[in-house]
Amino acid sequence: MDQPAPKTVAICDPVTLEIVKGALRAAQSEMEALIERTAMSAFIREKKDFYAALFDADGRMVVGSNVPIFGDILQPVFDRYPRAEMRPGDIYWYNDCYESRGAVSHTPDQVFIAPVFVDGVLCAFAQSWAHFNDVGGMRPGSLSPDCTDIFQEGIIVPPIRVARDGAFNEEALRIFYRNSRFPAMVQGDTRASVAAVRLGEKRLVELIQRFGREVVADAFRRLIAQTEAAVTARLRAAFPPGTYRFTDTIDRDGQGNGPFKVRLKMVVTADRVVLDTSESDDQAPGPINFLMHPTVPKAILGFYFLGADPTLVFNAGVEGAVDEVVLRPGSLLQPNFPAPLGQRGLTMIRTMTACMGLINEATGGKGVASSSAYVIYYLRGDAAGGHPFLLTDGVGVGYGARPTADGIDGVYFVAQENYPAEFLDLSYPVRLRAYGVNMDSGGPGRWRGGCGVIREIELLAPEAVLSMRIDSVDHPPWGVAGGRNGGTGRAIVNPGRPDERILEPLSDGTVMRRGDVLRLETGGGGGWGHPFEREAERVLKDVLGGFVSRDSAERDYGVVLTADGRAVDEAATARCRGNAPRQAKLFHRRVYVDALE
Amino acid sequence: MSGLDGTVPALAVAVDIGGTFTDVTLVDRAGARLWTAKTPSTPDDPSLGFMAGIGKALERAGLSPTSVGQVFHGTTVATNLILESKGAVVGLITTAGFRHVLELGRQDIPRKSNMFEWVKPQRPVPPERIYDIPGRLDATGAELEPLDEAAVRRAARALRDDGVAAIAVCFLHAFTNAAHERRAAELIAAEHPQAMISLSSDVLPVFREYERSMATILNVYVMPAVSSYVARLERRLKDGRIAAPLLLMKSSGGVTGAEAVRLTPVQTALSGPAAGVVGAQFIGESAGFRDLISVDIGGTSADICLIKDGTPGLTTNGKVGDWPLTLPMIDMTTIGAGGGSIARVSKTGALTVGPESAGAKPGPVCYGGGGAEPTVTDAHLVLGHLPPYLLSGAMRLDVAAARQAIRSKIAEPLGLDLLTAARGILAIVDNHMVGAIRVVSVERGHDPREFALLPFGGAGPLHGGALARLLDIKTIVVPPAPGVLSALGLLVSNLKSEYSRTCLERPPHFDLSRMAAVLAALEQEAQAWLVAEGVPAAEREIAWHASLRYEHQGFELTVPWAGRAVTDESVAGTIAAFHRLHERLYTFAQEDTPVEIVTLRVDAIGRLPRPTLPGLPRGGAPAAAIIDRLPVEFESGRAEAPVYDRARLGAGARIAGPAIVVQLDSTTLLLPGQTAEMHRYGSLIVQDG
Repeated sequence: MDQPAPKTVAICDPVTLEIVKGALRAAQSEMEALIERTAMSAFIREKKDFYAALFDADGRMVVGSNVPIFGDILQPVFDRYPRAEMRPGDIYWYNDCYESRGAVSHTPDQVFIAPVFVDGVLCAFAQSWAHFNDVGGMRPGSLSPDCTDIFQEGIIVPPIRVARDGAFNEEALRIFYRNSRFPAMVQGDTRASVAAVRLGEKRLVELIQRFGREVVADAFRRLIAQTEAAVTARLRAAFPPGTYRFTDTIDRDGQGNGPFKVRLKMVVTADRVVLDTSESDDQAPGPINFLMHPTVPKAILGFYFLGADPTLVFNAGVEGAVDEVVLRPGSLLQPNFPAPLGQRGLTMIRTMTACMGLINEATGGKGVASSSAYVIYYLRGDAAGGHPFLLTDGVGVGYGARPTADGIDGVYFVAQENYPAEFLDLSYPVRLRAYGVNMDSGGPGRWRGGCGVIREIELLAPEAVLSMRIDSVDHPPWGVAGGRNGGTGRAIVNPGRPDERILEPLSDGTVMRRGDVLRLETGGGGGWGHPFEREAERVLKDVLGGFVSRDSAERDYGVVLTADGRAVDEAATARCRGNAPRQAKLFHRRVYVDALE
Repeated sequence: MSGLDGTVPALAVAVDIGGTFTDVTLVDRAGARLWTAKTPSTPDDPSLGFMAGIGKALERAGLSPTSVGQVFHGTTVATNLILESKGAVVGLITTAGFRHVLELGRQDIPRKSNMFEWVKPQRPVPPERIYDIPGRLDATGAELEPLDEAAVRRAARALRDDGVAAIAVCFLHAFTNAAHERRAAELIAAEHPQAMISLSSDVLPVFREYERSMATILNVYVMPAVSSYVARLERRLKDGRIAAPLLLMKSSGGVTGAEAVRLTPVQTALSGPAAGVVGAQFIGESAGFRDLISVDIGGTSADICLIKDGTPGLTTNGKVGDWPLTLPMIDMTTIGAGGGSIARVSKTGALTVGPESAGAKPGPVCYGGGGAEPTVTDAHLVLGHLPPYLLSGAMRLDVAAARQAIRSKIAEPLGLDLLTAARGILAIVDNHMVGAIRVVSVERGHDPREFALLPFGGAGPLHGGALARLLDIKTIVVPPAPGVLSALGLLVSNLKSEYSRTCLERPPHFDLSRMAAVLAALEQEAQAWLVAEGVPAAEREIAWHASLRYEHQGFELTVPWAGRAVTDESVAGTIAAFHRLHERLYTFAQEDTPVEIVTLRVDAIGRLPRPTLPGLPRGGAPAAAIIDRLPVEFESGRAEAPVYDRARLGAGARIAGPAIVVQLDSTTLLLPGQTAEMHRYGSLIVQDG
């Protein structure tokens, strides 16, 4: 395009900044769309377990996906490949959790990175990150609660240069594909990931050529600074100087151990914010260890305070509000090599909710309540014709209520979609028999916690082996500010039949046979505010919609319905609510408490 | 349909109802003559404005209502009902165990939202009006469990007693076997004769139950209002002695008879914008351009569409408001950017433009209607892109107020001077539009430089020059009447209807006879519709399409079916086309990877005679059309620009930028370095460089 020559003063004016911001967002969205539409692993294509981001020349994220679970993605590459030796056409790749110090935190997540050169100068990086279905390891799907070290969780790829000057190292890729039980899928996913970073590279080149290197570099700095300034001010406003503590709990590690505690201590002084995780429990024998990069909790808090402000982008600026994160080697959040990491999602979610707990501590309950950890199961067996199949199905849960709104019902995580029943029935030897809201699983409150879901899957293949992951069974998500805890989840095989059995919540090796039914009842989110403060009409609507039972309406919300159940009995409700004591402490898990332990 | 057999009806009328005005275009195909009329819209009963406009146009032409052969109409009734959540109270009947199919949806928090703050939008049908009924089919359509007829009857009675008169039925796997849905419809009709019923197997027999349920629900959600609206229009036409058939524009860019719209009214969800795209395609072609990017800029939003080889693309991944609508519709991108878009400086110091709009009321500051926040139109006025008066003389624009608003609300907070701030507002809105144009072009594997830009809508031609420069597009086609292109689009549209069905076939063994049977059934439906619409055999056109994906992928791409038979060769040809499209869209193809065939589609087209545009006579010297000279603040500095009255420019007239060309419904800005020539069919062809 014809553009005026770069200005001599390389300052990005406010108008250009908005234009660059828009173009970066568009490029990042386009990369995501490409992966979404072309990838093959069900994890990526239906569950959307992938992200794309753009980085500046120093490896700082300028525009990323709205998910605060990343570490410092570029540094592991820089450690092995000095920037001065990088060239246009290079692509870097890794999934190595320990070498990247938790930049990725379980092995199926593949990171691909392309450096972006303009006029021979390294200006930026484009990156994709996606969860591949199977990268080898102990069981189909690579991750199993049975794993005892990381070598059982799939092939480990340290940061390598998989393409030089545009030419791929096909040998390295062949080794990788050969290590998967589903090589065609992994090949398709690799192509999609590479195409996405190439696209990001192309878009960045166009952008930088249009505005000039210095202007764009200045725009990068400003975008990060805008986010950092906003997030820092908001965090500081929420956290007056002082020391805040919060503890959250993971039920078990899948190998007979638990519970495990994530203990956070935040020390805020006039000029420093330090988050100390070192009082957390020791690492687990089972794979719930979360190798947490220090940037992750910074990003969680930063993302919360970023909010939904459309003028700000999610980038490295979210990390700026917290100065230091203290980690203890050998702890649940900083396990020693080669501890298994495959179920780290459970601990990651608890770290997020513990951060929310800190915010509630600091603000007297003006934050969000706790959420259930998303549920996932793997079903592996042979379909008709002896073709092996692997169904990895993520199942939604209820999220915590907010001071202004109910928790979200039945969601998995950001941007992650479910399998439609018709898709499952057409694609796998299963039949989805039911999929609905799990009544009474949302924590009662002025704002109700989100409800979990019910999902019933019947096996049509002769036999399959089930790996199950469901947490918050013993320790339901807490409520806050008078709101009560959310409901717990469970997994049952053949409910109501003589051979009914309740599964270990985190387990592998359950054999299912043709006609067996797996019923999942997932947990809800905690409530916010006292349930008696909830408008009776809202409670009625919840009853009519199947979110809350009549019993719970009366017992938990003090709302009595008329005989036909279609209206509020105002007088009886007033009596019921008026008589009950409204004693409440800051948190609730089974009982009201001032602090959780 | 009367008049189509042999005798081409000479007179056709098109009515496009906008928020403020109703535009009517009347065309006499025989004499290549065209009349337009404008009347105020009548939102309480749009049919009043509809008839008033037709009457005015006929009067102008001096023609009798009985001579009208066809009435074309684009309607926003369905769109507004959905966007404003004002449709009917709907009940849904679904499969047992799936009562929360809408509530759970695809279970995701949208990618661009913040998980801590996002609130699930309220569904058009709450779970208390959803009844799940025992009865189950498997994925092949075989019955596993019979329909519980008593439960259907109970649900129908309950809905009747609650006064719910619009009922959607969507059972799992009904896309392969509609028997349960059809039976349910009979039972509901027996218990609740007043109910309007919509079956998913009629609306969209394509897999994915949430999306299909939503399409079925939205269909019956708009059905009562659209049906009574259509009936009212037909009555008024009859009362007005117009016996011609009423043809309504669908989202897919073709028209269909009123009867088909009564059955699937949700097909009109993008009726208005679709008509604009058809008009853009026609105008582009009349000026010799078949590859076009159309940009329809109104007060609040801009609709952008890419037209390749004279054909706009169709998508089955559309959305209306918060909801997916996976019926085939013209592939358009809509953004919240228009003349009324409000410019603001956020607390974080960012300059944003839109999506909030000052709309028609209070409107931009310069309209003096009480608007206090600076808009895109105010920025144009401050920079001199717009003369401070409207050509009709109806209104003078308040330049001082616009300047003051931009100075105090934008320039001072950002530390910019007034003109830089005004240019900044336009730069941001133009780049926003460029981003949307890139979505339909670059992101779909097209190079925008190979296309002509066709800006329309009241505000389109003000932005065309800047957009073309940003995209390196060399040619801009400004239609003769940019503000009323939708009405013209209606007049030149064809009858069109699409029939799809999911028919999953996996490699290596494709069941050719099954696919042939599905395509034959779809074609039969398509032919039946063409017959019902009275399309003569010579004007019927049938096109087959298939949606394919690589094994293990989750998204399909739609390509034309190779040929009109189902053979190994045609399958191979279709798959080859899929590889090419995948490469164009996503930068790579995977010839080594097996391909699945997922959904088959048959499009029926009934060609209608197109009017010939009246030729523009040659005029005198362009200088004679200059009515004013005004200073314009370009980035390169202030320049005096002549203001041309477009009506006085004849065919072949050449003018050079900087210049402003005014007409009743729009203003065109020519930048320095751009030249323009009046085409013999009335378009202004702008060339850059």
